[in-house]
Amino acid sequence: MDYFVISLLNGVVYGLLLFMVSSGLTLVFGMMGVLNFAHGSFYMIGAYAGYAIARVTGFWPAMVLAPVVVALIGAAVERWLLEPVHRHGHAQELLLTFGLVFVIEELAKLLFGPFAVDNPMPAELARPALQVGDIAFPAFKAFIGVVAAAMFAGLFALLRLTRAGLVVRAAVHRPDMVSALGHDVSRVFMLVFALGAGLAGLAGAVAGVFYPVSPNMAHELGVIVFVVVVVGGLGSLPGALVASLLIGLSTTFAVGIDATLGDGLRTLGLAWTMGGIFDVRLSSMSGAIPFFLMLLILLLRPSGLLGERA
Amino acid sequence: MRLGRRSLLSSLPVLAAPGTCRAAAQTNEPLRIATIETLSGPGSGVNRLYSIGTRQGVAMLNAAGGFNGRPIEFREYDAQGTTSVAAERFRAAAADGIHIFVHGGSSAIAGQLIEDLRRHNMRNPARRMIFLNTGAEALELTGEKCNAFHFRLTTNAEIRVRALVAAMRAQGALGSRVVSINQNYSWGRDMEGAITAAAAAGGYEVVERILHDTNRIQDFSPFAARIAAARPSAVITGNWGNDLALLLRAVSAAGLRISFGTCFLDLPGSLSAAGDAAVGYYQAEVFNPIAFGAEGETMMEEYRARAGTFPSTSEVKAVLSMQFLGKALASLPPGTGPDTTRIAAALVAAQLRLPIGEMAIRAEDRQLIQPLVVSHVVKGSRYPIDGTDMGFEPVGVVPGPEAVNPVQASCRLERPA
Repeated sequence: MDYFVISLLNGVVYGLLLFMVSSGLTLVFGMMGVLNFAHGSFYMIGAYAGYAIARVTGFWPAMVLAPVVVALIGAAVERWLLEPVHRHGHAQELLLTFGLVFVIEELAKLLFGPFAVDNPMPAELARPALQVGDIAFPAFKAFIGVVAAAMFAGLFALLRLTRAGLVVRAAVHRPDMVSALGHDVSRVFMLVFALGAGLAGLAGAVAGVFYPVSPNMAHELGVIVFVVVVVGGLGSLPGALVASLLIGLSTTFAVGIDATLGDGLRTLGLAWTMGGIFDVRLSSMSGAIPFFLMLLILLLRPSGLLGERA
Repeated sequence: MRLGRRSLLSSLPVLAAPGTCRAAAQTNEPLRIATIETLSGPGSGVNRLYSIGTRQGVAMLNAAGGFNGRPIEFREYDAQGTTSVAAERFRAAAADGIHIFVHGGSSAIAGQLIEDLRRHNMRNPARRMIFLNTGAEALELTGEKCNAFHFRLTTNAEIRVRALVAAMRAQGALGSRVVSINQNYSWGRDMEGAITAAAAAGGYEVVERILHDTNRIQDFSPFAARIAAARPSAVITGNWGNDLALLLRAVSAAGLRISFGTCFLDLPGSLSAAGDAAVGYYQAEVFNPIAFGAEGETMMEEYRARAGTFPSTSEVKAVLSMQFLGKALASLPPGTGPDTTRIAAALVAAQLRLPIGEMAIRAEDRQLIQPLVVSHVVKGSRYPIDGTDMGFEPVGVVPGPEAVNPVQASCRLERPA
């Protein structure tokens, strides 16, 4: 029972962290049609920025400043790199962001060294928030969850309830018309991209408290975030939330399951002796479950769980 | 001297003219040593250390006069983290006339290289190569894949676990319920097997065996929950790099107070990521600057004077390997030349005296027998690691013959003719 409760909490918080990173990716794709490979890099920049700023200002101001810094970098990338490439088409934009991943990783190595940096956790987050049997549920995990929930609410309100959100959504569907009505569409795109980058930066700053801040961060989370976005439906914010929670919970609970695929088939009387993938314990491939899920979604519902049909 | 067509072809790149007498060419040849290591891409941060250490070790041999009156030549090949590139670099090294290649970064790449070595030596008996393994610890390298020209100058899974179990038990840190958590590939599976095999000697029961994806898990808290559910007295893990750091962080965040036995806690990035939770954790390694006493201090300072920083354990292991090779080279009569068959025989006979005991090769499977230092993490160490104030304080030395595993039955060494 303790195990179930703590796994539920762990799964939800991990899912929410995935959502924080993937929301920006899906937002930028939904609004601009740009599949940003460098999104994981913005997450990494956020973590490094949070680490560097916290050494000067202390922890809490850094949580506010780091996303702003990343948003500014995102705006600069959009204005001076993506915008000039935009007219050549999406393939060029994609390649540009792909190259950016390597440039940012090498820059991080140059500035902070090839190993993880020592990023101390503030004392108020280091203590346990609640105790489930023998296991403590740490405060920073609750913190990650609260920030993610607040972010989702704020984002949703911004896009659905404000005038700015209305302009953004209109600019996506009919950029020419919005432009004709006197709105600066390229500025709207820049702001959306900056917002997406800033959200990844916020996730990085918050997650960097717990996860090692190293040049590999972008690689480690970058791939899984793409899986989230594909499963949820490219461009769909609620889809990203559902997919994040689904992946967070399924990988967390899989860790506790030692059964193999072969066991299941044997119970049904479908097989006797099997080998290879059928004898791999589920717990030992928990990291691969998101990819199986993506495969399944692409086969059965290619537009994703909540994606619009193209 | 008659040359077979094959050996003639393979020696073309190094010999000026196909007709040259090989024996004469060999005595004038400098000894060429190379590392084939992952120098770029993921994993390069930790793997590069072996190459840096080997370079320093060769420089030290050259400072002492080189080999055969000539400086030893040193080259680096980048394996880029994959077995296919490593195999390609092996062919390049063979064509460049490398006599001895060194690899320590990965059991997977070492598994490829030992296979390439077997084929090369079979086809080119006149130009055999030697593989000095400074850090790849999978058991198969001295088991079913064992090779007379591969020398494992480091520990393996069983040796690490035997030393850890002996010292942790003596410290009363082991208890009766042990959890094994490891990465799901050759090294991690070997560790799980070794932890299970040592249960009787350590007086414990393995209450949980966990294998997980390598370098792919972001959130280890589910594993921490699983460890807690098993109510262990100690955890033994062979995890390295991010997998170790994340595991230790998740365990400390869950508020679990369990003693850990580890193998790679002293490499850059791990201790800083684990933080204060790592205090009291155990580690079994060949080198510890404090256990090595005055000589350890000299080694550290000398290395810093050469390379600019204190060495990591991987670098020290590479330097020790080169010193061991130096002993073997020094035992050859003057004017021998870089004859790898004779160097291999000299390596089998070589001995290197360390402050904590003796290093020697076991002839049956080419596994190094050496004493191990078991240490634990303390605050305020004389040799702090990783920008923290923590370092490793020795708690005991396990003598080589006690730590070493029995020769595996699967190893059938083909002695060179």
